[in-house]
Amino acid sequence: MIDLRYLRIALLLVTALILPRALFAHEATLGVLEFREVRPGAFIGLWTMEPTVGADRVDLKVPPHCFLRLPELNCGEKGLVGQITIGNLGADMSAALIKIIPLKGEPRSYTISTANPVVTVLGTDAPTIDTWLELAKTYINYGIDHILLGADHLLFVLGLIWIVNGGWRLVKTITAFTVGHSASLAATAFGLIGVPERPLNACIALSIVFVGVEIVKQQRGEIGWTARYPWAVAVTFGLVHGIGFASALAGLGLERRLLPPALLFFNVGVEIGQLAFVLLVLALIWAHRRLDAVLPRWGEALPAYAIGSVAMFWFIGRLLIVLST
Amino acid sequence: MSLRSLRTLPLAAAAILLSQPALAHEQADVGGGLAAGLLHPLTGADHLIAMVAVGIWGAQLGAPAIWVLPITFPLVMAFGGVLGILHVPLPMPEVVIALSALVLGGAVALRLKLPFAAAAAIVAVFAIFHGHAHGAELPGSANPLAYGIGFVVATGLLHLCGIVIGTLTRWPAGERIVQGLGAIIALLGGYFLLHSLGASA
Amino acid sequence: MRRTLKHGLIATALLLAQAPAAEAHIVAIRLGDFYAGALHPFTDLQDVLLWLAMGLLAGSLGAARGRWLVALFPLGLLAGLALGARVGTIAANPAIDAVIAVVLGLLLAAGARVPTVLLCVMAFALAALRGAANASDLAPNTDRLLFAGGLACAGYAAITLIMALTLAFRGPLSDSSKDSSKDTSKDWRGIALRALGGWIAAIGLMMAGLAFAS
Repeated sequence: MIDLRYLRIALLLVTALILPRALFAHEATLGVLEFREVRPGAFIGLWTMEPTVGADRVDLKVPPHCFLRLPELNCGEKGLVGQITIGNLGADMSAALIKIIPLKGEPRSYTISTANPVVTVLGTDAPTIDTWLELAKTYINYGIDHILLGADHLLFVLGLIWIVNGGWRLVKTITAFTVGHSASLAATAFGLIGVPERPLNACIALSIVFVGVEIVKQQRGEIGWTARYPWAVAVTFGLVHGIGFASALAGLGLERRLLPPALLFFNVGVEIGQLAFVLLVLALIWAHRRLDAVLPRWGEALPAYAIGSVAMFWFIGRLLIVLST
Repeated sequence: MSLRSLRTLPLAAAAILLSQPALAHEQADVGGGLAAGLLHPLTGADHLIAMVAVGIWGAQLGAPAIWVLPITFPLVMAFGGVLGILHVPLPMPEVVIALSALVLGGAVALRLKLPFAAAAAIVAVFAIFHGHAHGAELPGSANPLAYGIGFVVATGLLHLCGIVIGTLTRWPAGERIVQGLGAIIALLGGYFLLHSLGASA
Repeated sequence: MRRTLKHGLIATALLLAQAPAAEAHIVAIRLGDFYAGALHPFTDLQDVLLWLAMGLLAGSLGAARGRWLVALFPLGLLAGLALGARVGTIAANPAIDAVIAVVLGLLLAAGARVPTVLLCVMAFALAALRGAANASDLAPNTDRLLFAGGLACAGYAAITLIMALTLAFRGPLSDSSKDSSKDTSKDWRGIALRALGGWIAAIGLMMAGLAFAS
């Protein structure tokens, strides 16, 4: 009897796991819009598959130098280069596929979805100065966004600053972290290594727990690994965090031929964001010393425990995600 | 709770999260207001030379004028500005403003050592008139707070220029230069005075 | 009982199954409101001016008095934001802002030795006012917790940095009774700070005039 009940629950679970995807597939909210280049810079756009909300209700936004009145799209000499987005993506229209068929070169497709609402089209010709500028702007911004929105990365950097405590050693440590994550970011983006995303996220959380423990150790007067070899720890965990950056980059639907420069710009953006964060933290540490506003003796370990607890919370949450799939 | 509604939850959440509020703010034309406020005291030559002259004279007079003036001058001027904004009429503003450059320039040229209270009173009267002129000419379109900030900062910086020039008096040669500058300011003031008298006559 | 358990299980499983798919990207966007809250005060001149005035005043009074603001100021912002969100957006009153600017500027210009308790009360009140004003930007779909967190972080960082910079510029404070006998004209840093107070009060005065004129 009992066996049967378990079986039933297991069955339910399996259906529950499969169901959402099946339901997704049924839904015809996906629109497909095809742009065919008829003269250099001039396109004819047609909905080959109209979204359920109706083609008229799609708020399509094209680069500012282009002129759009479907079915016509005219971009002039610069060509179709820049950002395409849909203003009213939402529950009733979750995604659109945009197909561009240029006169020269191969057709390309871009997916606009709630998760990835803006696509950057970079043209098929040999990259011009406009392409480069567009690429730089887009990917530096992505990089900055990614690091500033990645609370886990920032928390790790904060822990490093805390342990190393300023000075030349901090410069070396942060550089080591940068080298580490740049190397693994490049390696992952080029497909040299592949690590499943979910266990990796758990690992990133664990790395922050480790740093929290090291801070507590240091406050007790023990000399931990990080205090002794900060650069080694930074490089090692930098490698882990870099793979995390790469998975974010992969979600942006990048063209293969533009991967190296995009990667470079993305990394530059990440470094800009990281440097800004480090400088802000250092300025605040300086300000606290200046104001003599330090935590009382009994509260010294509080920040370390806070960092550790938050990271542990993430770790458990992410571990559950790993185990649940 | 049906499956359908459950399924749409994450989508709705994503849609909500994605439509971040624009940071656009109702603070209209902050840049324009700042620029207008900054430029306003700099573009009127009569204002400009009078402000610099106040700084120089304060530096010449030494303590306590050199440190009381920078603190109180913008305040008194803003007070005049408020009068101007409220359109409280003052007698012959054009003439008094031109006169201020003449008097202040003359004081610098002659190294006039008045008692502090007297000097402060003279400066205060002129400051109210200058502020009044700026306040009355306040552009309606620009962001008022930004205009005020630009206006006060520009005036303060002009004042600071005067003080820096005034510190030249520590050296004998510098003293001469400062006096010469005072004379030039007084002459310009005299020209503006004649101009305004001619205009109002 | 069995039914509810079953339904609960389905719901949990569904949510778990959805989470990873959504997580990868939404995690990245989830924190957006934090930055909206953190950046919002810097787009508002009133906030910039009044925060600066508060930080300058507290910093000029020395570390022992200003120190409390590090915690009190962000707390005041949070209290004001909560109030503003609960009561409904309080229309920002430029006249009140102007009066505050004049008072803070005059205190700084006069070099008044504001007592610690009074300073703390003033800072908290100002922060609460500005927090309530910032609540006007809370859209219905804004994550309030993140917005509040961002605002509090911005307040903390801004006030701490301004106070510390003021203190560093001012140099060690001479708290001795010989303050007046000292040759004040040589202490140009103190004068510069007080002159800045005069500027702030002047700006406040002009704001007040404009508020009454309109």
